[in-house]
Amino acid sequence: MTALDRWISGVTRWLAQRTSRRGLVGTLGMLLIGGAALPLLPVARRAGAREPAPDEPDRSTPEGDPTSCEYWRFCSIDGFAASCCGGTATSCPPGTQMSAVTWIGTCRNPADGKDYIVSYNDCCGKGPCGNCFCHRNEGDKPVYSPQRSNDIGWCMGSAGVIYNSTVSIVIGVATEQRGRTGGAA
Amino acid sequence: MTSAKRIPQFRLMTRGGVSLHSRIGRSSAVLVVCGCATLALAATRVADADVPIERIGEVEVLPSPFGPHWMWVSDALLERIALVDLDSGAFLGQINAGYGVPVALFSPDRAEIYLPETHHSRRTRGIRTDVATIYDAASLSPVDEVILPPKRAVNPLPVGNSALSDDQRFLAVFNMTPATSLGVVDLEERRFAGEIPTPGCSLVYGVGDRRFAMLCGDGSLLSVTLDEAGRVRQSQRSAPFFDPELDPVTEKGVRWGDSWIFVSFAGWAHVIDFSSGEPSFESPWSLISAEDRARSWRIGGAQHLALHEPTGRLYAAVHQGGPDTHKEGGTEVWVYDIAARERVGRIELRNPGVTVMGMSLAFGRDWAWPFDGLYDFLLDHVAPAFPIEHIAVTQDEEPILATASSFSASLAVYDALSGEFLRRVVTGNMTVQALQPSPFRGLVAAGVGALP
Repeated sequence: MTALDRWISGVTRWLAQRTSRRGLVGTLGMLLIGGAALPLLPVARRAGAREPAPDEPDRSTPEGDPTSCEYWRFCSIDGFAASCCGGTATSCPPGTQMSAVTWIGTCRNPADGKDYIVSYNDCCGKGPCGNCFCHRNEGDKPVYSPQRSNDIGWCMGSAGVIYNSTVSIVIGVATEQRGRTGGAA
Repeated sequence: MTSAKRIPQFRLMTRGGVSLHSRIGRSSAVLVVCGCATLALAATRVADADVPIERIGEVEVLPSPFGPHWMWVSDALLERIALVDLDSGAFLGQINAGYGVPVALFSPDRAEIYLPETHHSRRTRGIRTDVATIYDAASLSPVDEVILPPKRAVNPLPVGNSALSDDQRFLAVFNMTPATSLGVVDLEERRFAGEIPTPGCSLVYGVGDRRFAMLCGDGSLLSVTLDEAGRVRQSQRSAPFFDPELDPVTEKGVRWGDSWIFVSFAGWAHVIDFSSGEPSFESPWSLISAEDRARSWRIGGAQHLALHEPTGRLYAAVHQGGPDTHKEGGTEVWVYDIAARERVGRIELRNPGVTVMGMSLAFGRDWAWPFDGLYDFLLDHVAPAFPIEHIAVTQDEEPILATASSFSASLAVYDALSGEFLRRVVTGNMTVQALQPSPFRGLVAAGVGALP
């Protein structure tokens, strides 16, 4: 790792620790450094220890890698992937609390071609993780449609409002084709 | 100006004298005093010749009225709102806030700024306190506060989380637990007036003297009218005016006189007129022509709309992209004559400038030509394009368009009428989450602060 890499990594993580809105750091990295800098971060790839679920894409591909923003379940995420923050795609990092309320997305699993309903629960009570900022907004809706809005800080109630990261839990198979918004209306 | 300048100017001398006297003998003290006097005399002679003796403890207050080109710039990292002058580039002051994206409300008539805030007693944990803090607009010091139920919605929106009634009597705060409601603050009596459940409806926009509007999940609009005590006098829900599934409007509406303008993901402008009390929905019109739509032009950004009231011009950040890019920043700003419903200008956006840790990376301004323009050349032609997520326009007769990318603390500033690029202004922020033009009429300097 060059001195420049270390400096960029340090700056990015410093910002990550202080950010209060999901998404700040990742976009900073994207804008200033380019996506190429993210792999330089000392990402804790704990999720790598987990075997892929049956019928999930190969882990060696971005669509099957829970530490990649291209992971198929992250299609509607806007925040830090818990799998890069000490948790897994379905569990929160140590010391955080999983939000009871959440938004959902509908993501297509390229391994079986089916659409799945994914629950994006926020991990709360510690500051923003800073790793793996994923800013995909497929199916995202405005705040007045809360069940589909990834702009809402879902850390609310007993867990407090401090946002750390987000898990993506498959909760069902979508029975209808997902719709698109903002198309050529 | 003078009220802020109460200075304990002799404190240092008094404390030092007592301390010396108690530690050393009287004769030694005399020597020390004589020595000090000699030194002071010498220092005074030098000072008389150069710089007058100055007072310690001076604190500025802002002049009144504010400058027409002042802009408030929110930062979620530093949890503050910075005030900068877009003409001179000067940093003028700041207001600190709590967790989330701070967005202030400005009273047009009172020299006060209102800021809903969320705090935890142990910063990331502990007891949560939500509070509406009232700041003196001239001293930027807190003068009062009203404690709110700890239910304030947390999201990065630059508009819609709180609103002032037009008569400035009430402040409404959008709550989400996730049950939605409005918290109402009586700003004259400085008390929490109560909570109004608003099931199915979110966000809040001021639409009249005692009236607020909210957007509902079925595409309708809820109008809430308050009585003298801040309780609900009337609550009325309209028929749906947009399809929240197929083409939802963004939350980032702009006010135009008695109307609000919301724009859909696909670029349809919905104008809602509240002048008669009841909301009146005009037929939507498209910001994107069929030809531009075929070229994938779309609206997008975290604060993608701005409006210049005196000329009735609407400004929209646009980019070329696919579906679900409604939060992607703009590469151009398109300008519309709202009354004529037609586009009257295009402004190609330039890089707002690069900052790291709030500091500008600008260099070479004093180098010889042509190298003095190297930084600008690199920004405009070499650096990756910064999508512009935030735009705002000042409301004076010579309006300025300010543009920002969320992760640079530098703003690019344009003449809002001609579209001419003017300059870059560094805010000292880490990030930019909201731009708010400053009110520039009225605003008399008040009494510093009253809260500890």
